[in-house]
Amino acid sequence: MSAVLQLKNVHKAFAGVPALAGVDAALMDNSYVSLLGPSGSGKTTLLRVIAGFEQPDGGEILFAGRRIDGVPPHERGIGFVFQNFALFPHLSVAQNIAFGLENRAVAPVTDAKAVTARVRDMIGLVGLTGLEDRAVTQISGGQKQRVALARTLVTEPSMVLLDEPLGALDANLRTRMRGELRTIRERCGVTFLHVTGSETEALAMGDTVLVLDRGRIAQATDAGTLYSRPASADVARFLNCYNIFSGAVSGNVFESPVGRLALGGVRQASGRPAYAIRYDRVAIRPRDAAAAGDEVRIEASFVASEYSGAAINSFFTLDDGRVFEVETHLSHAAPEAFEEKARYALVWKREDALVFV
Amino acid sequence: MNASGIKLGLGLYTTLFIVFLYGPLVVLAILSFQTGPEGGPQFPIIEWSTYWYKHLFGLTPPSRIAPLPIEQALVRSLALAVMTMIVSTVLGVTAAQAFRKKFRGSGVVFYLIVLGMMVPGVLVGLGMALVANTLGVDRHWWGTAFVLHVVYTFPFAFLVMLAIFNRFDPSVEEAAWSLGVTPARTFRKITFPLIFPGVLSAMLFAFTLSYDEFSRTLFASGRDLTLPLAIYGTFSVEVHPNVFAFGVLTTLFSFALLGTYAVLMGLSVRRAKRMAIQEEA
Ligand SMILES: Nc1ncnc2c1ncn2[C@@H]1O[C@H](COP(=O)(O)OP(=O)(O)OP(=O)(O)O)[C@@H](O)[C@H]1O
Ligand SMILES: [Mg+2]
Repeated sequence: MSAVLQLKNVHKAFAGVPALAGVDAALMDNSYVSLLGPSGSGKTTLLRVIAGFEQPDGGEILFAGRRIDGVPPHERGIGFVFQNFALFPHLSVAQNIAFGLENRAVAPVTDAKAVTARVRDMIGLVGLTGLEDRAVTQISGGQKQRVALARTLVTEPSMVLLDEPLGALDANLRTRMRGELRTIRERCGVTFLHVTGSETEALAMGDTVLVLDRGRIAQATDAGTLYSRPASADVARFLNCYNIFSGAVSGNVFESPVGRLALGGVRQASGRPAYAIRYDRVAIRPRDAAAAGDEVRIEASFVASEYSGAAINSFFTLDDGRVFEVETHLSHAAPEAFEEKARYALVWKREDALVFV
Repeated sequence: MNASGIKLGLGLYTTLFIVFLYGPLVVLAILSFQTGPEGGPQFPIIEWSTYWYKHLFGLTPPSRIAPLPIEQALVRSLALAVMTMIVSTVLGVTAAQAFRKKFRGSGVVFYLIVLGMMVPGVLVGLGMALVANTLGVDRHWWGTAFVLHVVYTFPFAFLVMLAIFNRFDPSVEEAAWSLGVTPARTFRKITFPLIFPGVLSAMLFAFTLSYDEFSRTLFASGRDLTLPLAIYGTFSVEVHPNVFAFGVLTTLFSFALLGTYAVLMGLSVRRAKRMAIQEEA
């Protein structure tokens, strides 16, 4: 596998305020890449710069080995799926999908039969059969999403940029489309760069996950590594599955606002010292239970719990008022009833914690 | 005030509005059916007849009342209105398109354009006449007057298109580019069809404003008169109901124009719906 897209130190500022502050990344050919980042981190800006809708202020963009910054969008051969779908409202479903084939500057398909055949295949692939002649104002959100995808894929780009493509869909449909997007991508063999603000979506879909933070790539790795080894406290925070303490390492303990936490596992270099423990690595015990030698123990008051399918998330308040979250998988244990405002011991293994120095 | 009171007030207001809008037209229409050639432009109607309509087309036996000298003026005005409509609409669309991106001095240029519809027409017309005299340029309806008509109607077309582009979602254009379609072709195949209702409105504005423009044309058109000038000219002699008959005919023409506009507009709006209905049938 080789890199289809390379970004080198890409910069972009709006009215002096940086939106991209030196983005470096390489996207592998034929892969699914998720781009995760909080709101305002520059995800849309990055995609628009890659597509050519915005010009970068500095840096290089190489696509299939060719430098493309400065090349107009229609000469880049990069597909774009918009969050609001941006379908052509005056054209039918089939006409929307045929538009690129018939009208592109390079190698337009002029034979009506060939267009029809390719549009029909694509409509089959995305599961829109029967809706060919429907106006795009007369179809559901999920169907619009498929038209937007089909319209792009039928022109056979070697890369497709998707800006929160599932954002406008309801939760049910979103889950179903996740699987479909992956299957469709595999069948077409193109690279997808999928922007999302949802960590579960990013982890579920991406072969590679890029984490964007304040205009920089904070981490680029596979989903498993990202989940278990975030590169910094900020990345851990976006993943939404870590309790994070700030503080400082002194010798063999981490001095946190809730007390001294004994250290055991690896320490990672990152700009700011922090201590992170994953929600699902924490056990809830009665207050009087003793901790084993390799365990860390803190105390907190129970607030509430929340079912989310196969897991239950319990919320506690620490002595400094902050919220601490624990995820218990129901396959491991029957749900326990905790008493509101009562104190419990929260315990985890030393080596399960991530320590950033 | 209670709800029925408001309703009554609004109803009264609307009625008054319609009376003032169509009252003059109705009086005109009634008087145009006055008998001729002895009947004058006042009530009562001596006898109903279509004499003045026939008179207009030269179908009556010669009488002391000369036929309206408006035939050529009508042709001129129509030609001028069509020319103005085309040029102003093209300029309006392209200028509004340019204004979609902020550029240096765009604010100043905006006000300079819009000024064209604000300054008093008589002054502009007089000024144009002076400029033409100074430069030794002959004044013609198709020259000096045409330029003023464009300067006057272009801001209307521009403002209409600006409002249309304001509501236009630029991501559909970006979508077309990302499919490999050139910006020029994107404009023709995507942007233009979507802004077409606005273009129609801009055309209608430019046409009607030019068609009955008076003050600018008065000084700038030279020897050959346009329709509004020719009609005004007939008033200075003696008013006969043939002017009213002509007024009725031009009003009918305007309605036909509006009808065409409505039909074209309806077609472009209903396109999508029709497709959906076919689908369900
Ligand atoms: N056209 C623009 N003009 C000025 N500032 C902009 C423009 N587009 C984006 N920005 C700014 O650049 C930063 C990055 O914006 P961007 O839209 O890329 O964020 P994002 O990661 O896509 O966020 P979200 O998840 O909310 O869509 C933001 O601070 C935003 O205010
Ligand atoms: Mg965005």
